[in-house]
Amino acid sequence: MTRLAGGLIDRTQTVTFTFDGTRYQGHPGDTLASALLAAGVRLMGRSFKYHRPRGVFAAGSEEPNALVELGSGARREPNSRATTVELHEGLEAHSQNRWPALSFDALAVNDLLAPFFTAGFYYKTFMWPKAFWERLYEPLIRRAAGLGRLSMQADPDAYDKGFLHCDLLVVGAGPSGLAAALTAARAGARVILAEEDFRLGGRLLAETGTLDGAPAVDWVTALEAAFADLPNLRVMRRTTVFGVFDHGVYGAVERVADHRRDPGEGVRQTLWRITARRAVLAAGATERPIAFADNDRPGIMLAGAMRAYANRWAACPVDTIAVYTNNDDGHRTAVDLLARGVQVAAVIDARAEATARGDYRVIAGGAVTGTRGRLGLSAIEVRSDRGAERIACGALGVSGGWNPNLHLASHHRGRPLWDETLQTFLPDAHGPAGLVPAGAAAGAFSTAAALSSGAAAATRALGEIGIDAAPCALPEAEAAPWRIAPVFHVPGRKRAWVDFQNEVTVKDIALAHAENMRPVEHLKRYTTLGMGTDQGKTANVTGLAVMAELTGRTIGETGTTVFRPPYTPVSLSVLGGGDTGPYFRPRRLPPTHRWAEAQGAVFVEVGQWMRAQYFPRPGETHWRQAVDREAAAVRSAVGLCDVTTLGKIDVQGADAAAFLDRLYCNTLSTLKVGRVRYGLMLREDGFAYDDGTAARFADDHYVVTTTTANAGLVYRNMEFARQCLWPELDVQIVSTTDAWAQIAVAGPKARTLLARIVDGFDLDNAAFPFMACSALTVCGGLRARLFRISFSGELAYEIAVPARYGQALMERLMARGADLGVTPYGTEALSVLRIEKGHAAGAELNGQTTAAMLGLGRMVSQKKDAIGAVMSRREGLAGDAGRLVGLRPVEDGGAVVGGAHLFAEGAARTLAGSEGWITSSCHSPHVGAAIGLGFLERGDARMGEVVVAANPLEGGSARLRVVPACFVDPEGGRLRD
Amino acid sequence: MTDLIPVTALGDATPRRFSAGALTLCENDAVAFASLALRRGAGRPAPFGLALPGPGGWAAGQGVAALWVAPDQWLVEAEGRAATDFAATLGQAAPGCSVTEQTDGWVAFEIVSQAGPQPLEALLEKLANVDPAGFAPGRATRTALHHMSCYLVRRAAGHVAVLGARSSAGSLWHALATAARRLHANAA
Repeated sequence: MTRLAGGLIDRTQTVTFTFDGTRYQGHPGDTLASALLAAGVRLMGRSFKYHRPRGVFAAGSEEPNALVELGSGARREPNSRATTVELHEGLEAHSQNRWPALSFDALAVNDLLAPFFTAGFYYKTFMWPKAFWERLYEPLIRRAAGLGRLSMQADPDAYDKGFLHCDLLVVGAGPSGLAAALTAARAGARVILAEEDFRLGGRLLAETGTLDGAPAVDWVTALEAAFADLPNLRVMRRTTVFGVFDHGVYGAVERVADHRRDPGEGVRQTLWRITARRAVLAAGATERPIAFADNDRPGIMLAGAMRAYANRWAACPVDTIAVYTNNDDGHRTAVDLLARGVQVAAVIDARAEATARGDYRVIAGGAVTGTRGRLGLSAIEVRSDRGAERIACGALGVSGGWNPNLHLASHHRGRPLWDETLQTFLPDAHGPAGLVPAGAAAGAFSTAAALSSGAAAATRALGEIGIDAAPCALPEAEAAPWRIAPVFHVPGRKRAWVDFQNEVTVKDIALAHAENMRPVEHLKRYTTLGMGTDQGKTANVTGLAVMAELTGRTIGETGTTVFRPPYTPVSLSVLGGGDTGPYFRPRRLPPTHRWAEAQGAVFVEVGQWMRAQYFPRPGETHWRQAVDREAAAVRSAVGLCDVTTLGKIDVQGADAAAFLDRLYCNTLSTLKVGRVRYGLMLREDGFAYDDGTAARFADDHYVVTTTTANAGLVYRNMEFARQCLWPELDVQIVSTTDAWAQIAVAGPKARTLLARIVDGFDLDNAAFPFMACSALTVCGGLRARLFRISFSGELAYEIAVPARYGQALMERLMARGADLGVTPYGTEALSVLRIEKGHAAGAELNGQTTAAMLGLGRMVSQKKDAIGAVMSRREGLAGDAGRLVGLRPVEDGGAVVGGAHLFAEGAARTLAGSEGWITSSCHSPHVGAAIGLGFLERGDARMGEVVVAANPLEGGSARLRVVPACFVDPEGGRLRD
Repeated sequence: MTDLIPVTALGDATPRRFSAGALTLCENDAVAFASLALRRGAGRPAPFGLALPGPGGWAAGQGVAALWVAPDQWLVEAEGRAATDFAATLGQAAPGCSVTEQTDGWVAFEIVSQAGPQPLEALLEKLANVDPAGFAPGRATRTALHHMSCYLVRRAAGHVAVLGARSSAGSLWHALATAARRLHANAA
């Protein structure tokens, strides 16, 4: 008996797939598990630790055993649950964690060593020698015990993310979810119904009970048609709501194209963030097993799963089955399978008063004490008051009751409460705000109760947000009371599995108890109960019950561990949101980027910006050749550098000057219109944090610049100051960083070059001196701004035009400056030039430096207050004697290594003895040697002294001479003339 | 008139255009932008006769439009005037206000649906955490889109403009075009 009659599969079509290389056929509507069962395949995997043969155990996402690798090559995906894999043409699946084959696994020898592999095995065994853990023990253990294999290739598929909003999110489309969605949608609310299965209906698809006297699937089909006419209802199949997050945000993954072999141009999965005003948790319940000796053989499965395979998928792998139950539900399996022509050898019911519901044998008050069969179940051993017997059967359905899927209700520290009557945990009232459990997830186990519970939950949830929902007509359904005996395991000497995936047996729990690992959180970590990819959905409550029995406490007192997202495994690809490679994060490109690319520039990431680092020319084989050439060109002729990335902030208002005086430690209100001044900003704690220039275009209009790295931070701080600190000031600020392309024109021939593009603007030194600024036009009427500022120490300007003209301006300057030797230079040469000039940059402004250390102590005005000014005078900061100095190797050809610590000659090289460190270093074409900048204790008073730069990381040291930080034109004649 | 030839924010000579299904995405390089901020205590002007909108609003007038960006501050748009000094013009139309040129601070991508609002709203779902129910024509909002700070402007039921930083135009275009292409592919 394999494929039965009936079922919700499309027999008019055939789907071909392979499992471990063997071709099989199934039908649309099948899962991989149902199709394999229908093909008579019971053995689907090997267990995690003991490599025991395992078959499918459940019929849904709770599956602990039937984990397979899907696909091949880069698309190989390990640890996929065969029970949730929608069968499709060409599906390729492989069993995992076995060698050389599933039917003969050499590592099954582990099963013989099981007495050694008890709970806490690793903790006890691999303690010594300590050094062996990382290099020997862990790799060995990981190879022996594991799950599937990663492809180790880049994921070829596309993933994306999205955002949804609704009044009511209904999680699960079983009877309670369908009733909730229908009620809410008919009330006009915006509703999202999310179902992890590819078909709506939940357990209605798996049961034979009727609704209004007709097959339940008919009602579901009619409802789906009605849903299509409700534009305010969005039905999301193949969508798992995996977590509840703050402020009513639910995380969900939609498997958009997992059921296709190749998603093509589309996305494979979508990560949805659903903002729901209210939600109904209608996630149903998961059946739990009863633990007994050797209860993990292929063919042993949950009774509800066996029923689902027969009813929904018309699949049963064997001719004869048996059922072991402690509740009425197990009998349904016997009745349904009998009706489909499967022989039922017996129903073993733990309850002494149990009776048959049909033409099958009931062993009341019985227990299954053992099983037989190497690669699949062949018989069970049963004990009852009439003695022991062996019953031949190829499959055994086990039902130990149902556990509500209350996981989401526990995500905000909701603590499940034990219900003694139902023998199960139920959601408490302290879960996520706005989430209302319904149906089996709330302990309403009959279909009638689930339907009415779902409708009531929707009405209640919507009522809380002011939407009246009238009751909808619900179909008449079975309303059997729930009867169960508290039987969780069958005592015995042999191993009885509780957590199938992580190989936790009743014995392991007993050992944890004996070794005092009794609190549930300890139990979990010590035994790994519930720590597999299934998170112990079929195991946890049974494990807790065993521990409760051992401790003599109730299950409620024993409590549960904490449930956290995700409810089921979520791939990192979809969590990442889909952007990879060059689009992993946004890139900002300066206006001349395309031009720089065409010049063959090498780029460097500076925050989000891509900046040209240097422009190699043919024949240059080392980056230093390009950088030295570029730096030399600036010193001798003229260079061009795109400096758009520096932050630019437009500051206007009657109080603009007063505002800037409070932000910068130096005074900017005295700056004349048409002039620029260097400005330094301090943090509230008095340390220097950013510098730049302030250009005054009018009494009430400044343009200030920031460093590239701090552009956003400075703007944010300015907004905070404007809105929160001094709202009384009349100041308006806007970022203009992107609006203007800004190009530095630096070098002794800068004025000559600029004169060729300005429209009659007087660049003479008297008319436009050092630190002047002006609006003007260039290139025949284009509005522009010109600043005479210099980072290199040369005669230099920065010219700004609207960004769309930046590239054309660069090309024009290059063309007009060809005879002047104009040379583009990148950030590397920019850095060399500023080190030579002794200008501070990010390496010096590292958050640990004061204005005084930078040699700018006198910039902190005593005449006014500014952010950080008072704190900069506190003892701890004012007493810091480190000063910025220049450093040169004493020996010819010596190196200066950034990061090296500075010591007096002969001093012990300990951290306590460090007198400073090197912040920046480079080869200086101007000096003809390596140079550096650094902070040195009392450095300003130690000119000429030789210090030792020690580099303990790389083991070297060098003697350096302390020199002034400015290596080029210390008088400043070049930039002023 | 300058003889310098501008490039678009995407670095091209002409605006880029892309279609996927009912959606067309195009770069609008002709629109000028300027920031308009009130001086402290000043009254609200009506530049070019435009009634400046309140929080979350976008209002269009004759050749100009404005979206509210902060208390007493708007981003004013002028279609077809990117090549002009629109900030100067606006400054004259709104005397006493702080006006700042923003034309090239932003890139504007116009997304138009040929099949009503549904395809557009399906695309928006993939782009930003904006509830379509509160994003009717005439609404504008600042939001993060693929880690980029943007303004979304609902110009009409089937028309949304995405304004992003000019320097990240390439990343923004990639995000928009990719989302549109995938939507179309998944619908196919």
